[in-house]
Amino acid sequence: MELNFEIIGVWTLVLMTLSILSYLYGDNPFYKASEHIFVGVSAGYIFAITWWDQVWPNLFGRLFPSYVEAGFDFNIMYIIPLILGIFMLFRLIPSLSWLARISIGYIVGMAAGLKIYVFINSNILMQIQNSAIDFSKSGWEIFNHTLILIGVISGLVYFFFSKEHKGVVGTVSKIGIYFLMIKFGASFGFAVMGRISLLIGRFEDLINYSTQDYNYATPVIIVFMIVSLAIWSLKQKDNTEIKDKK
Amino acid sequence: MKNFIIKLGNLDRRIIFLLIGLSVLIPLINPNLIDLPLGEDRNTKIVYDSISQLQEDDKVLISFAYGASTKPEVHPMAVALLNHLFSKGIKVYIVSLWPESPIMAQQAISAVKNSDLFNIEDGIDYVMFDYKVGGFVVIKGIADNFRELYQQDYNGKLIDDLNIMDGVYSVKDFDFVFDFSAGVPGNAEWVQYACDPKNIPLSSGCTSIMVTDAIPYVESGQLRGILAGMPGAAEYEKMVYDYMISEQNNNSNINSGTAITKGKAYARMSAQSVAHLLMVLFIIIGNIAYYYSRKEK
Repeated sequence: MELNFEIIGVWTLVLMTLSILSYLYGDNPFYKASEHIFVGVSAGYIFAITWWDQVWPNLFGRLFPSYVEAGFDFNIMYIIPLILGIFMLFRLIPSLSWLARISIGYIVGMAAGLKIYVFINSNILMQIQNSAIDFSKSGWEIFNHTLILIGVISGLVYFFFSKEHKGVVGTVSKIGIYFLMIKFGASFGFAVMGRISLLIGRFEDLINYSTQDYNYATPVIIVFMIVSLAIWSLKQKDNTEIKDKK
Repeated sequence: MKNFIIKLGNLDRRIIFLLIGLSVLIPLINPNLIDLPLGEDRNTKIVYDSISQLQEDDKVLISFAYGASTKPEVHPMAVALLNHLFSKGIKVYIVSLWPESPIMAQQAISAVKNSDLFNIEDGIDYVMFDYKVGGFVVIKGIADNFRELYQQDYNGKLIDDLNIMDGVYSVKDFDFVFDFSAGVPGNAEWVQYACDPKNIPLSSGCTSIMVTDAIPYVESGQLRGILAGMPGAAEYEKMVYDYMISEQNNNSNINSGTAITKGKAYARMSAQSVAHLLMVLFIIIGNIAYYYSRKEK
């Protein structure tokens, strides 16, 4: 039996995958353990990569260029993000937590300012422009554009609450509901497709790692988990019965 | 019959999970058992045609914004796109906007290199950059001043020392941008912050769940087609596969004599289709059962 880091990695992968999938049977220790490990590892990984790929070269690389050697020149302006970053950490000290509002204010203001122009340009103006009917196109395309235009107008009317949805407004808003329902149906269909794709990916890994090259990782771990879950279920049952008797 | 359908409507969800699991597992174990035809979506064709129109030595910026959890859907697209680009001798620039993306990008590049179909070299034919935190701020940075954001490549080499970086200062210096995404930042941010304001052609390959939100951009031409989830990946893979097979003997960028293999998404589509058919069946049965049980009350 071969044992190396790749095999250990594969066994861990299979154990974690099956532990997460075991939730389909019910909440159990395998699922809980893998869920906690996932959260912990993700947080640790993101912290490390953010520090070494972002904060260290981009911030300290500009404040201490000769020490960090990230290719940037010294720039005193970067003292501002350093101070704002330190202010954010003051949230942990109740008496100084108000300083964090300055950093949050900067982030919110900057994001809002950037978003306003691009959103109006790409999502409103260009979309309005493109929902107009182009009569120079073929009959089928004119029909499609007309359909889009009806969908846009009726959808907007549905979200217009300053007038009661009765009469013409009510009819148009009802048409809007149908368009929205088709959109939600399409979204649901795509969501299902996405989830099935993920399941395919997991199963493909489990199939690949069930061979002798990986010391039969999948079948061995499946048997181990089934036996463990059976014992755990029986113990749970016993505990419940003892509690009921008390 | 009526009682049987009502009973089916009350089936334990664990049995449904099991059946869905088997419907995915069986076609994966034995792909030849069920071989369903694959169509050709208009949006996939637009992506393929847009990339096909690019010329040798054009510069394409690829944004990786997905991770391990969405790898089965998006990764095959990335490998197919790299095959398409390298077979046309196009220069590739890779940026990562998700923490796991550099690993995904490296795996995609390794898959292409290990196929031995191309003689590509890091720093000459392609260049990779580290993950940057900030999402849309990074995209805005790339759009305005690439070199302010990136001073070194993934290997720590200064970009001033890389010939491939000559003439690259902002997103305007790329001939095409391609986004692979599974959430935020994704194609919407590329449309809004980089490609609409700078008028650079953009395509996207994304997870299925993002498609309905991205389609308005496709219809308006802000996105040049879209690879929609696994079916999009499978269709694009097939187009690139057919192109490479037809080009192998007359194209100096593709090594002749090396076997060209089909991508992974194509093989996965049977499992996808069978699972969908089963789900449609369950939805129909569930609705009939609900109708009968309400009628009885």
